[in-house]
Amino acid sequence: MKFIKNHLMFIFPLIAILLGIEFFMIFERTTNSYEKGLKDGYSMLVVASKPIDTAYLQKLNKHIENSEAIKREEIVKQVAKGINESTTEKILGALPYFYNIWLDEYIGAVGLDMIKQDLLQDKNIKKVETFGNTYSSSYRLFSFIKFSLKLFIGFMGVVSLFLIIKQMEIWKYSHKQRMQIMEIFGAPLMLRSGVLFKVAIFDAFIATLITSGFFLYIKFIWASNSGIDIMMQKQDELFMMGDILTLLGSSLLIVIVAVFSVALTTKGVQE
Amino acid sequence: MSNVINATHLTLSYGNGQQEIIKDASFNIQKGEFVFITGPSGSGKSTLLKSLYGQLKPTDGSLFVGGHDLCDIKKSKLQELRTHFGIIFQDYKLVNEWTVAKNVVLPLMIAGYSLDVQNTQAKRLLKHVKLSDYGNKYPLELSGGEQQRVGVARAFAKNPVVILADEPTGNLDDYSSNVIWDLMENACQQLETTVLVVTHKIPTIFSLPYRHFIIENKGIYEVH
Repeated sequence: MKFIKNHLMFIFPLIAILLGIEFFMIFERTTNSYEKGLKDGYSMLVVASKPIDTAYLQKLNKHIENSEAIKREEIVKQVAKGINESTTEKILGALPYFYNIWLDEYIGAVGLDMIKQDLLQDKNIKKVETFGNTYSSSYRLFSFIKFSLKLFIGFMGVVSLFLIIKQMEIWKYSHKQRMQIMEIFGAPLMLRSGVLFKVAIFDAFIATLITSGFFLYIKFIWASNSGIDIMMQKQDELFMMGDILTLLGSSLLIVIVAVFSVALTTKGVQE
Repeated sequence: MSNVINATHLTLSYGNGQQEIIKDASFNIQKGEFVFITGPSGSGKSTLLKSLYGQLKPTDGSLFVGGHDLCDIKKSKLQELRTHFGIIFQDYKLVNEWTVAKNVVLPLMIAGYSLDVQNTQAKRLLKHVKLSDYGNKYPLELSGGEQQRVGVARAFAKNPVVILADEPTGNLDDYSSNVIWDLMENACQQLETTVLVVTHKIPTIFSLPYRHFIIENKGIYEVH
């Protein structure tokens, strides 16, 4: 019973950290594609007195990725219905040049304003419409959700870390006598902490197995039957096989750091 | 004969030199010698022993053991040096979750001997300390005297160059004490093992004129 309890006391916080890591990876993957969708769907409108191209705009601001001219004839057609041809041509002659521009990344409202200011400094650019309000509210909501989740994952990680430190103190207490005696007789660090390593590595494998099992269940069973569109569409991104290696690597790293901390701080003879 | 232990103007202290235990002591012990160090309780006998196996670094002076300067020794070298020591503690220092046999062969385990060799040696050593049937027992199932004999068997497991014994028979009955003294005397005479025993009183069974140091007023003096 004590044996199982000792293992669980290390496995549980380790699982909590691994869950945090995996949730973070899943969140990054899914939000990246959402962020890409927001970015791709967003464009600014630039009004210029002369024809300009993408390279011209890129010299004004490095975030501009692409641009496309809006056909002036189409605009005139829309606004000059029922007007004779000569007037239409006059309107066309007086009409400035309109461009949709796309950015290279998802940028906040402040960033959009800076781009606008950069563009307006050029004498050929008369007006820039960022549609900042619509864009900004989506961005703010998105940023808030992202921040909240990261904060929660971070908090979970810190609490779990404290539990692991607590467990390390228990280890230190229960393995101290053996490690000190072995040190007096000249045992190297790896031999002294061998038992602890075996226990901790076993726990790391168990924690990885449980965490991976949980996410595999979510991916293949829960997500398929959830009826939630986003879950079903993004099923592939929920858990990837490479994540098992990341989780195992993380848990082994935590274990190695924990065991070495215990071994290196257990010195001398207990009087 | 070569010096196994050589101390010159040795000063030992605790708390960054605040509490001096031994001050300006000089002595040397040669290979194959059996030496007693006596002194009243709290005089610094155990502190001296600690410094000899590298657990306490001298504050001043020099201390050479087996040709190694313990004032300036690398951790890896100290580790290697310790494998040539057999240390006997007053409070036994056995690993309670290990069997008696496993405790006895700890030095062999550290040296990387095979399990077969370890098992054979465990039987031989336990026979020497009259504990042949105790191999599979755990230390806490044994009496104090029996535990001390296990500690002695462990100290002899790898034919050490130096035996450092801290009050090895402190609380033991005559039978256990005699077994331990016999073992140490035989090792010294037959294997040329250097034996250094720290005790508050020299046992009466010793008839040979062994060297004897006394610790008094922070100094170490040879008694002639």
